[in-house]
Amino acid sequence: MDKNILQKLAENSEKYMQFETDRMITWCGMCGNFGVQNALKRALTLENISRNEVLFCYDIGCSGNGSDKIEGYTIHGLHGRVISLAAGAAIANSRIKVIAEAGDGATFSEGVNHLIHGVRNDYPIMFLHHNNQNYGLTTGQASACTIKGAKMNGAPYGVYEEPLNPLQIVLSLNPSFVARCFSGDVPHMTSVFQEALKHKGFAFVEVLQSCPTYNKETPEDWYRERVKFIEDKKDYDVKNIWDARKIVDDQEKEIYIGVLYRNEERENFLKCVQGRKGLETELVDEVERVVISPAERG
Amino acid sequence: MNRLKIKIGGESGSGLLSIGNILVDALNEMGLNVVADREYPSLIKGLPSCFIINAAKREINSLSKEIDILLAIDKQSLVHYFDDLKDGGILIHGYERLSGIEDILKKAEGKNIKVVHLKARETAIAQGGKVLMSNTVLLGMLWKVIGCDPKFAELQLVKKFEDKQNLIEINVKCFKAGFENVEKILEIEYPKNAEKKIIIDGNHAIALGGINCGVRAYYAYPMSPASSILTHMAEMSEKTGVLVKQVEDEISTVQMVLGSMFMGTRAFTATSGGGYDLMTETVSLAGMIECPLVVVIAQRPGPATGLPTWTMQGDLNLACYSSHGEFTRLVISVSDSEDAFYLIQEAFNYAEEIQIPVIVLTEKYIAESKMSVPKFDIEKVPIKRGLVKKEELASLKNSDRYAITETGVSKRWLPGTAGAYYFANGDEHLEDGSLTEESLDASEMYAKRLRKTDYLRSILPDPEIYGNEKDADISFVGWGSSKRVIKDIINLENILGKKLKVNYLHFSYLFPLKEEKLKKFFEDNHNVHLIEGNYTGQFGEMVEKIGLKFKNKLLKFDGRPFFVEDAISYILKNV
Repeated sequence: MDKNILQKLAENSEKYMQFETDRMITWCGMCGNFGVQNALKRALTLENISRNEVLFCYDIGCSGNGSDKIEGYTIHGLHGRVISLAAGAAIANSRIKVIAEAGDGATFSEGVNHLIHGVRNDYPIMFLHHNNQNYGLTTGQASACTIKGAKMNGAPYGVYEEPLNPLQIVLSLNPSFVARCFSGDVPHMTSVFQEALKHKGFAFVEVLQSCPTYNKETPEDWYRERVKFIEDKKDYDVKNIWDARKIVDDQEKEIYIGVLYRNEERENFLKCVQGRKGLETELVDEVERVVISPAERG
Repeated sequence: MNRLKIKIGGESGSGLLSIGNILVDALNEMGLNVVADREYPSLIKGLPSCFIINAAKREINSLSKEIDILLAIDKQSLVHYFDDLKDGGILIHGYERLSGIEDILKKAEGKNIKVVHLKARETAIAQGGKVLMSNTVLLGMLWKVIGCDPKFAELQLVKKFEDKQNLIEINVKCFKAGFENVEKILEIEYPKNAEKKIIIDGNHAIALGGINCGVRAYYAYPMSPASSILTHMAEMSEKTGVLVKQVEDEISTVQMVLGSMFMGTRAFTATSGGGYDLMTETVSLAGMIECPLVVVIAQRPGPATGLPTWTMQGDLNLACYSSHGEFTRLVISVSDSEDAFYLIQEAFNYAEEIQIPVIVLTEKYIAESKMSVPKFDIEKVPIKRGLVKKEELASLKNSDRYAITETGVSKRWLPGTAGAYYFANGDEHLEDGSLTEESLDASEMYAKRLRKTDYLRSILPDPEIYGNEKDADISFVGWGSSKRVIKDIINLENILGKKLKVNYLHFSYLFPLKEEKLKKFFEDNHNVHLIEGNYTGQFGEMVEKIGLKFKNKLLKFDGRPFFVEDAISYILKNV
């Protein structure tokens, strides 16, 4: 890790510590969630975002069990619906950074329509896709991202469906920000999260996350052998969606991590939505009488 | 003439709505009280549909089944609606080939019906108009038949085409051609200096009420008969600055509402029963994290797709008992275009002050029927946010958010506004929202949330009595649009010659049920009946559960509202 970053964290330890909890953590030892949570706290500190300037929205599952393990305003909502919930919150007050987190079950099965429309609308949220390739909290069933042939709870003879390619799906939706990280590399995750926090629209960040208890097919070492930094790829243009679509096709040999695609020119939802153009105030500050007669139209 | 009853029939898409609306606006402008509803099939073009308009000098709130005047735009609707016309009524049509409707004309003679006829298409073309303007000719004929001053209708024509100057002149010409070439038959009485009323449908009133009480975001997925709230909200958005968003499905819609309300603005959504089914998991979450939520259900007959463009009071049980787990909620029902404006505002106050989901029921009949109502009093319902005062923000503790209290209501403040923060946890939790599975902690928090039901019941307004409080010959208890028909009955001088005392107890706040006045109403009246637009008498069951017993029940579930005649024939059988 960059020594300057450690130095910066040390200087801002008070800010970092405001997110720290003394509650008992209930994830399994070696669970990828530890790394994700740590990197998130670091990124918030480095981006100078304090506890009062962020809302964490959690889906259901092991990642969701982190909802009271980070100090700050959190919502622990329903399965599959966190993108919509977070979007509604973010729209109401853009002074507060909204971070939504969900697993592969929520994102690519239960609530896949919300992902599609979340990206399409470019809602101003950072979205963390915890991809551990299984349903952990319900004890290891297959998800839509589980590798074909893996023997899972409920699929004792091996998963017979082809897995989805999450980033290929997201990239097909004309997103404004797509990144991928690996839960075993906290410093790299931190820097990617920082970029995602700075992004104005929908920042999709996939974390390839080890699950020591249920994911035997792609454990920590499996990823460690395969991940490569996108910065090291020659002639790669982060603004070219076709470069990104090409590179995410490989889910088995060379898995590139980092910010894979960004379109800074796209205007986010709040800049586009009808009736709000030119307005600088936040919806939360506007709750008061507005009188319009029955005959009036826009 | 007490009540003028007009039906305009035409194929869906025939321009029926335009002349209907011009007629309704003109009658309202004259100071008459108007109620007007559309009946139409669930399709875009073809098949007969109609506009029913009742107008009177005195207050009216409901519709009559009987028709004095049928205006038929095309042959199909002439045939379809002819039998609704009363003996001695008036048929207005512009059909050209009379040989094609000989049977009907013969029947009309037998029923002593006056036929008013002009070749409408020919007349319109002779004025330089297009075929569709034969509707304006028909409007002119109708206007003359009911004996009204043409200036009122012409004014509305000018308004309607104000963006298209060339159409104004030609439409006024067509109107005049219709008006001048038929005879006056009726003499309509109208007040000379009446206070001007507005004419508005229930969905429009809900939209305006929401905006009036500080709604800043409206999320929706289209579903009849709630869809026009989205239309209204969107069309007004440039002026109001309300963020209006059509979302991918009802689940997402209600989640976005919840997210926005959690962050601290006012937002809501409206749907019908099927869409609400999809929202119920979120309603449960709102109950658990004690986040205010307002959802409007515009009822239509179910189950499944049912009768999508017709009316019903069939989703009370859905509103009261849907969603998993037990939690406090409030169910309110609007009854007409007037209280829709105020009750949506009350819904937000209760949702925010008690920190609960509030479900507001309306019906297709209320949502889409237009009604003359007094100008809205924009200050009548104060905005009550239920948030802690600014001075208190600095001294808050995290555990204040879900603190166990006697009423069940804890302090609420918005994300980012205080040093203290909280976890809005869908899992069972402690006072700061952190997760617990301990028996005592879990049960205390569970009971805290449900104690809000008793508290809410204690502060809710009582149901309202219409007519005399006591000793009626027949009494009714009901909710929603039932109020409209019974109010009209109460206002009658006699019922088919009989002098009968009728009274009515109306519930706007349905659940939790306020019992005291209800029990008193049963004590004070000997012949109490239920009136409800469904098969099982859902509200009736709630009332009878507390030990009261209705003499009989007036129920209806054919997709139509209660007409005046429905109530009259029931009353005559049950006094």
